[in-house]
Amino acid sequence: MMVMKFCVTVSAAAVVAILVSGTVNAAENSLESGQAIYKRANCVGCHKWHGDGGGGYGGAALSLRKTELEKPQIMETVKCGRPGTGMPYFSHDSYPSDGAPQCYGLTSNDLETMHVAQASVFLRPEEIEAVADYVIGNIKGKGDPNLADCVAFFGDESKACDVYKGGGHHALPTPTTTQ
Amino acid sequence: MERGMSFPYGWSLKSTRLFYVGSTALLLTLATAAFAADAPPVGPKAETPVVAKSPDTTPQRLLDADKEQQNWITHHKDYSAQRFSTLNQINAGNVKGLKVAWTMQLGGVEGGGIWSHGGLEGTPIVEDGFMYVTDGWGSVYKVDTHGGKGLLLWKMDPKTDHDWAGAVACCGVDNRGVGLYKDLVISHTLDGRLIATDKETGQVKWQRQVADPDKGEVVTGAPLIVKNMAITGVAGAEYGIRGWIAATDLDTQKEVWRTYTLPKKGEPGSETWSGTNSQETTGGGSTWVTGSYDPATNTIVWGVGNPGPDWDNAYRPGDNLYTDSSLALDADTGKIKWHFQHTPNDPYDYDSVAENVLVDVDGKKLALEADRNGFGYAVDRTDGRFLWATPFVKKVTWTKGIDPETGRPVEYDSSKQVQVYNPEATPIRSREITDICPGNMGGKNWPPTAYNPLLKTWYVPVIESCNRITIKPETKANKPRDFFTGGGPSQPFRITGSVTAIDVTTGKVVGKHETPYPDLAGILATPDLVFSGEPSGQVYALDAKTLQRLWEFNTGGGVNAPPMTFSVDGKQYVAILVGMGGAWDKWFIDSTPELKKVQPGSTLYVFAL
Repeated sequence: MMVMKFCVTVSAAAVVAILVSGTVNAAENSLESGQAIYKRANCVGCHKWHGDGGGGYGGAALSLRKTELEKPQIMETVKCGRPGTGMPYFSHDSYPSDGAPQCYGLTSNDLETMHVAQASVFLRPEEIEAVADYVIGNIKGKGDPNLADCVAFFGDESKACDVYKGGGHHALPTPTTTQ
Repeated sequence: MERGMSFPYGWSLKSTRLFYVGSTALLLTLATAAFAADAPPVGPKAETPVVAKSPDTTPQRLLDADKEQQNWITHHKDYSAQRFSTLNQINAGNVKGLKVAWTMQLGGVEGGGIWSHGGLEGTPIVEDGFMYVTDGWGSVYKVDTHGGKGLLLWKMDPKTDHDWAGAVACCGVDNRGVGLYKDLVISHTLDGRLIATDKETGQVKWQRQVADPDKGEVVTGAPLIVKNMAITGVAGAEYGIRGWIAATDLDTQKEVWRTYTLPKKGEPGSETWSGTNSQETTGGGSTWVTGSYDPATNTIVWGVGNPGPDWDNAYRPGDNLYTDSSLALDADTGKIKWHFQHTPNDPYDYDSVAENVLVDVDGKKLALEADRNGFGYAVDRTDGRFLWATPFVKKVTWTKGIDPETGRPVEYDSSKQVQVYNPEATPIRSREITDICPGNMGGKNWPPTAYNPLLKTWYVPVIESCNRITIKPETKANKPRDFFTGGGPSQPFRITGSVTAIDVTTGKVVGKHETPYPDLAGILATPDLVFSGEPSGQVYALDAKTLQRLWEFNTGGGVNAPPMTFSVDGKQYVAILVGMGGAWDKWFIDSTPELKKVQPGSTLYVFAL
């Protein structure tokens, strides 16, 4: 019903369409793609959309295009982070305060001294697997990023990929005003 | 009220038209109904906007901006960039009674590109009780401040391309505010547009692409309006852009001039780029902080950023003009009149984008600049001649000091193409890790200084810092839209801050108000007070002479924007935007770990007695 509250004037058919698309979105959420997790978990923030990482204000994130890690090692790195670097851990139970250590034999007491960064979002085990599958299937071993890679990531609507088309003149967006 | 047309939210399945019923019945067509999702529902109790036309902001009024005591009509208050207001209803005697008058939630916190959220770094502009503020993605809000409350009149959303711009913004989703010209509000967007919006209606009159994110260029600064022109600066030195300052004619929408901050081969200054790598493709020199203007000589004074790659100075032998310089330009032609360079062949990322504050003291015409390298400089603004420099941070390791004759670091060696200054504290290719003080954020970053002409005192918002630079030499030219820095910083050291006062008649530090976190806000000066803010949430006032803290209020957000003051209906207010963004909470947060708790936000705070 929230949908209807904001739709000030729609045809009955449109209401049906919105309700149907809402159902589709819910289904997508339960099977969130590895790429969507890559975006939501802000892997982009350091490894960039293309996974090639590189230098910058955040220090150098490793290149996932050139990585030699296999899926289990990628999953472990996402779960546990890399102590002493900017790579944070993405699983809430990676460093328990009691019980058996899950990562590198460390507990929550070691986080500060070992400089283990915590991610801003936590992922479930199946989400960690999905994002590792995405890295293996779409990023690892690929050469320089190209237009097709870029469009697959950003879609057609952003100008983010225009640089791969040789740049050029961009249509200006249409601003909107609310009063 | 026509009862037959009354629907709770005015929506009807059968009608293609919509009837809103309020104090005035409004007929909205299908086209405008799309906006209703963002707009507050208009009900019987809706407030009627004050219908008072905003005056034309003429070039003459901008020249006399310092005389409009109640207003703040250009980014740095007036062309001198002193950020000094003569309003003194709020003063040292009563500031303890300062309270929140009203607040307003803004938008623009969403992320894009490499950024998880936007933040607020803008200075509100106020003209006769009407306030204009921006959020990080460049939406402009017009707020009526009459009657002791804030009422949103309109919001213009430029529909900034988040991924196109956010992927090449080195240092956050930021926008530092608007300029005013006649009946227009002039603003920038991160994706490189200059936009003119009708003051009254909020409708966009025209827009123009001035910067190109395809090249790694973005725009975060507020435009400086001079005569009939908007002056635009650009960001992107971390992506190896070739920096520029550009002037757009606001009447014809045509470009008047564009001056590159890196000379072409053969132009004066190009001899300071002696390597085989081209400054025209990778040299940096961005200009993302709004400059100042001296009408007496028709000179724009503007700061220029670091060379690219940031830390690998062996990639670019020579002094690398006009990076890390203050640049004086003829306002009509953009021709360079003089320059003063602070850190030749910079290996630290000590850019000089900071505003130059134009001050007349003891018969001298000064331009003051507080640099990322930890020194405050005074030069003669008629010719760029060096006068004095003084360290405003507690710890400087990269140099033993500034030569009092030349203004250059004492270790500067004109026979060398690659400078090493203090070799222990200078990043160099032969050593992977080097600790530098100040750290690469400064010193003093973009948050603006303020100058009190009554006390002849200059207040600097200071980042008291060291950090660690890891060198990764660049071996080839940069790829557009990829970081091109020659290494990167890390934060093994705690970073604090201060407001540091400098007596401009002597060039000496006369006071320091220390803070547990860096000053990421900037300063407002009034006759006997100094206002600033902290990233941990406090907005505060200091006694202008003793720097004793007289008042503070915790906003509950991270203060990352400068305070300003205005008066409406005869009453003085202090306004500040609150919402942590910028580079700090992504790249530098490990130096201030408690600030990890500060949540993103987007709020306008207005205080009054």
